[in-house]
Order: sequence, then structure tokens, then C-alpha cells
Amino acid sequence: MTPGEPLIRWDWIASHLDEIGFRLWEHFELTTIAIVAGLVIAFGLSFVALRAPRLYPPITGVTGILYTIPSLALFAFLVPYTGFTILTAEIGLVSYTLLILIRNIVAGVRGVPAEVREAARGMGYTDRQILWRVELPLALAVIFAGIRVATITTIGLVTVTALIGEGGLGYFILFGIQLFFSTPLLVGAVGSVLFAIVVDGSLVLVQRSLTPWSRVA
Amino acid sequence: MVNRLIEPTSGEILIDGQNVLTEDPTQLRRRIGYVIQQVGLFPHRTIGQNVATVPELLGWPDARIRARVDELLSLIGFDPARMRDRYPAQLSGGERQRVGVARAMAAEPPLMLMDEPFGAVDPIVRERLQNEFLQLQRTQGITVIFVTHDIDEAIKLGDRVAIMRAGKLVQFAPPAELLAHPADDFVARFVGSDRGLKRLALLTVGGAELDPPVDPSRLDGAPVLSPAMSLRDALAEMLASEKQVGMVRDGDRYLGVLTLSHIGKILRIEDGQ
Repeated sequence: MTPGEPLIRWDWIASHLDEIGFRLWEHFELTTIAIVAGLVIAFGLSFVALRAPRLYPPITGVTGILYTIPSLALFAFLVPYTGFTILTAEIGLVSYTLLILIRNIVAGVRGVPAEVREAARGMGYTDRQILWRVELPLALAVIFAGIRVATITTIGLVTVTALIGEGGLGYFILFGIQLFFSTPLLVGAVGSVLFAIVVDGSLVLVQRSLTPWSRVA
Repeated sequence: MVNRLIEPTSGEILIDGQNVLTEDPTQLRRRIGYVIQQVGLFPHRTIGQNVATVPELLGWPDARIRARVDELLSLIGFDPARMRDRYPAQLSGGERQRVGVARAMAAEPPLMLMDEPFGAVDPIVRERLQNEFLQLQRTQGITVIFVTHDIDEAIKLGDRVAIMRAGKLVQFAPPAELLAHPADDFVARFVGSDRGLKRLALLTVGGAELDPPVDPSRLDGAPVLSPAMSLRDALAEMLASEKQVGMVRDGDRYLGVLTLSHIGKILRIEDGQ
């Protein structure tokens, strides 16, 4: 950092509001796509694991390995195949959501009390109806806990995708580091933290409105 | 097995003459009421929605479902407007059990299966639930298969009691018959050495032989008994009074005198001794 330069230059922020807004939107987009795609894949794999419990260990095994690959290494590995594209970014982001989401979906469904399931079957619910009308609604709280962790993780990881030309607010972090310029670095870092807090809070509100029964008694 | 949650390995189960194995299990279950010990209310559905479960599955029109839910909630002693929108977590154990029964009755099933439905509530609540259930069952005219480990409950609620031992049926009889003539030692021990007293609870004063009426002044201090009273309650009142006899009256009509020897005779006759 240049000596005598202030930590934050508010005039820089003021003159870059448009770009900050655009990057924030990009951050939101990258996160949303990753979570939605992650949920679709995770639900698919979870249903397989719930139907065939033998497949649960290999499913968590593979997604667990994906989860441990350092993000930077994963992006570096993908770039030769998919280039500096949003696809590269999303492949990485989605893979990191899977383990958490699958574990929470399966744990949530398995956590439904046996007597509730027996009552449902005894009254003439089909297997499919039991899943959609009983098990999934009751698993919602646990599933949402997974979605929240996955979302926060993803918002952090999105900043890393700046290295492959995406990045949302991460762009400012990279930009600041490259130029030894603290203002954009702080905009990127503080901005993504604030963004994560707001999103997490919104998820809590959504969950509450979806599970009114958990607020009583 | 009746609702095919467990498939029979041999034999037949007929409901109104139809073998349950010929029917689709899901359809079959929708026309059989089902109550289990742990109730299994859906925690995410309101009381009203819980009760509406089977009618919804059967595709009843909304208005009919709403009317039926309110009817059932009243039947189990709830104020529909107050209870309909609550969640199971807001109810006591006894209240939940009643909702479980209402839910099972919702689609007017001709047959209900109840697996130890009152096993998990305290004795006072159990007694109340049993009385309510007895009344419901009589007024609604439903056939109920009721599983219990409590012989007193079986005698109180059952029209016919089947006693199982190690997977085998040892006796199937009306409660009074069971108490009077246990099929073997196992049943005799199971119904208890006080089975004579238990049987008195099932018989009424009106069914007993009486001495002809005597001058009421000679019965001073004797309890007045009604024909609908159980012999057990009559006996208790008689023993507590000085005279050890009871004056049997049906309203204004003076029917006769009940004595301890009448009661003893009934016990001996039915014991076959």
C-alpha cells in the first residue's frame, strides 16, 4: 500500500457505485445458481440414498472427497476443459454444496418419528405421498439448516472465482490485491460478509414462514 | 395384518365377505380407521388438517370435509373454532389421543383398528378416554378391533375378547363368559383371582333374582338400588350398610330385595361350581 494513502477512499466508492451494484448482483446470481443446482442434484441423490440405504455411504464418500478438494485446485483443474466461464465457476460451487445438502436432507427425512410414518401408511398414504406430504415437510427445518450453511459457504467461495474471471464482489478483492489498493479490497471483503449476513437472515425468515408449526408451544 | 401393514403368510382375512388380499392395500387402508399407541399425529398439520387426512385422500369436497372435521371435533368434546387451527404440539397427551381417534373415524370407516390406543396416558385420563370411546363406539356403530395388554380394559370395552398367548388364540368369548369359564389356567390367571368381582361389574341388578318386596320399614338403612346399576356397585353399597341387603327400585316402582345370597348364587352358577 502506498504510504499516506487512507485505508478507505470514500470518493472511490462513490464513483464506483454502479460497478459495486453490478458485482453484487453477479455475486447473488452465482450463489443462487449454485444453491438451486446443488439442491436439485442433492435431492436426486438423497432420494436414491433413502430408497437404497446401501448407496448412502458411497454417495457421501464421493461428495465428501469433492468437498475436500481445495477450491483453487479445482478451478485450475477445470479451466483446461471448460475455460474461464461461468460453467467452471458453477461446477466448483455446486460440488461444494452437495455434501452438506445431502447429509441434511437424508438426516431430516430419517429423523421423522416412526409413529408418524406408520400412522401415515396405516391411513392409506402411498409411499410417494408419505415422502412429499409428511417426510419432506417435517424434514424442512433440518434441510434449511443445511441450505443456510451451504449458502454461506458458497457466498465465500464465489469470491475465489474471481481468479477465473467471475467472482462477484471477489473481483474487488482480487483487484485490490493486485493494485495494493485497500479500498476495493475492503469493499469486496466487507461487502461479501454483509451480503452473507443479509442472505442468512432472509433464509431464517423464509424457513419460519414455511414451518409455522415449529413456532408454537 | 388386517390393513396389510404386515402381509399374512397364510389364511384369509375377510371384511364384509371380501378377502383383504384382493384389494389394493392403499385403498383398503383408507376405509379402515387406524389408531396406534403413540398416536402419530402429523406435527406439521393442524388438528383440523390431521382429522381431515383420510377424507382428503378420498377426495371429498372441501365443504363436506370441513363439516365432518367440526362434527368430529365436537364429538370428542372440543370446541371446533378454538381447536381446529392448533398444532398437535399445543395439546396434552390425552387430547392428542382423542384427536387420533377422531382422525381414524373421519371417513366413517365400518372398521377400526386400535393398537393399545390408551396405553400411553395416565390412569385417570385413560379411564375418561375409555368411557368416551365406549359411548362413541356405541352411538356410531363401528366395529373395532382393539389390542390391549390390560385385561380390565378388554373386559370393560370388549363385546368379545380374544386372548392370545405366544401367538396362539387360547380363548375367544364375551367378557362375562371369559370370567365365568376361563378356557385354561393361563386365562384364569390372566383374568385374575378377582374375576368373580370383575364379572359382577358386567352384570346388572336388573338381571339378578330378587326376593319379593317386603315392608320398606323393615329395610331401614338399606341402600336403594336401580336395575341399571352393576352388581359390583350394588354389592359395595350393600356391604357398607348395616342390613347387607338392597332395596331395588326402578324410579317409583319397588321391584324387590337383593341379598348377598343372591349375589353369591350368581357367582356359583356362572362358575359352574
